[in-house]
Amino acid sequence: MGFNPLEHRGIPLERQIRSWRELDVEPVDPDRGDPYTKCRIITMNGIEVEAILFNHQLARHCPDMEVKRQLAEVRYAEAQQQKAVNWLLPGLASVLETTISYEQVAVDLTGWIARHEPDPYLKQAYEFGVLEDFDHLYRYANLYEMIEHRKADSIVENLTEVMPGRPTKFHHRHPADNVREPYDRTTVNPLSKLHALTVMSAEQQTMNFYLNVGPQYMEPIARQLYQEIGLIEEEHVTHYESLVDPGETWWEQLVNHEYNECYLYHSFMEQESDPKVKAIWDLHLNMELEHLHIACDLMRRHDGRDPREILAPELPNVLTFEPNKAYLRELLDTQMDLTTLGAGYVRDAHERFERMQEQIHGGEEPPSERVMAQHREMFGREYRHQTEGEHPDVASREKN
Amino acid sequence: MAGIAADDADVVALLMRQHGDIRNLFDEVEKAGGEERRAAFRRLVRLLAVHETAEEEVVHPFTRTSVPDGEAVVEARLAEEREAKEVLSRLDGMDTDDPKFLPGLDALRKDVMAHARSEERYEFIHIRRSADKARLASMATALRAAEAMAPTHPHPGTESAAKNLTLGPVAAVIDRTRDAVRKALGKDG
Repeated sequence: MGFNPLEHRGIPLERQIRSWRELDVEPVDPDRGDPYTKCRIITMNGIEVEAILFNHQLARHCPDMEVKRQLAEVRYAEAQQQKAVNWLLPGLASVLETTISYEQVAVDLTGWIARHEPDPYLKQAYEFGVLEDFDHLYRYANLYEMIEHRKADSIVENLTEVMPGRPTKFHHRHPADNVREPYDRTTVNPLSKLHALTVMSAEQQTMNFYLNVGPQYMEPIARQLYQEIGLIEEEHVTHYESLVDPGETWWEQLVNHEYNECYLYHSFMEQESDPKVKAIWDLHLNMELEHLHIACDLMRRHDGRDPREILAPELPNVLTFEPNKAYLRELLDTQMDLTTLGAGYVRDAHERFERMQEQIHGGEEPPSERVMAQHREMFGREYRHQTEGEHPDVASREKN
Repeated sequence: MAGIAADDADVVALLMRQHGDIRNLFDEVEKAGGEERRAAFRRLVRLLAVHETAEEEVVHPFTRTSVPDGEAVVEARLAEEREAKEVLSRLDGMDTDDPKFLPGLDALRKDVMAHARSEERYEFIHIRRSADKARLASMATALRAAEAMAPTHPHPGTESAAKNLTLGPVAAVIDRTRDAVRKALGKDG
């Protein structure tokens, strides 16, 4: 039997507030831990940040004072969860090292979700996006070697390959072409809703991270690369958020958020190798069960509907951080030259795309190209980490 | 502003890369065994000695005189250094195959890394702010002279026990590094 979060009660809300001592979590080792532990931390931080921001938006639209107070109480617990989760990251890591872990999340989270997404249109959206995250990882990895003389495989280990994806310079599309068609909330598989919310939250956190930390770098090429990729994250958030049916009521969305948090904490608890981190996933799952219960009550009261109508009867299979190398290689072989037109995908560089490219590049090479040129100048080669052989796309192989 | 690709132009870029080289050597020592580990560990000890000596000769003096409250910044760094040196000296007398070696190495790695990150965040950032281009470049030249005292990679055939003996104990490496740095500073400063 699977786990049905609706059938469990968690920790009562009034007992969820933690003291400083409880929030003072011990960070993971930046060099010797499981890279996927860091990925799970980064993912859950993104999920909690989305939970907090969504709850704030809901509160701003909520005239009922009593409900507003209840939302504030749940939100405070989520804010503490966010602190406990994100403070697991080590202060010893540099911004670029954390960035490389963010891109490992983007690659292996989106890759896994693409593999397990039942809806073909949504699957295509993830497959399209993951090839771009994959290229960002490669560009940042080259910057990392230039600045810190370290190879990104000391961070991602042999779990994720580092090599070109769809070239970053081609990610700059006209904003209108980043808007996808939403799924239909009345017919979609409940799992698809969780996938969309998860990837959207992760990309939103990545966008916020880059737009804040980018200017902390002093090296011009680093500042510029964060600016460029930061703008692509804006495109990705647009791409993924437009997949979500805007017809979902506020209460329905709240239930989906809380349900997804239960799903992910449950998933990560099942696979966590670090016992101290696992204890946090366990604790937070038990907090989320209560948040979900409260959200379900609110939905029943304000929408007059039973949340069971919109949720799966039990949690889907655990969402897993694991290598997606073969799958990514297949995409590299078949989807490198895609771009978007309207809500669909094409292989031609259409007029609106070309115009956007001219405007943003202004006839020059963008930072994502210059970082590679500077790296080649310094080392006489590129940094790549190809554990499974040559790049599947012949044109993307390293030239000597 | 010095770009990171302009290799010789910026002492901070060089120092940050040396921090990476040190971390790479820690990885190498940990992964190797037997004679290879012994040799990699000797390289690590040498690189640490050279790196710290160069910082004491080149970087800290600049911070003391040119950075606001530089004295306090340097004192904090030296305290971290002393801590790391104590761990290192305990480790230095130990056989690299000793079961206590790897846990000790791990403690040293964390101390050294914390020290390096503190330098990057609380000292180097001020150097880039306070030093002009010419000064960053002349300090870089001195650092390069020091770097030559500590090869990070083994040169085939040269890393024999005899060669290690001729390189001598750490104290001698420090002396030679100090001489090389001072000579370079005198020439360029």
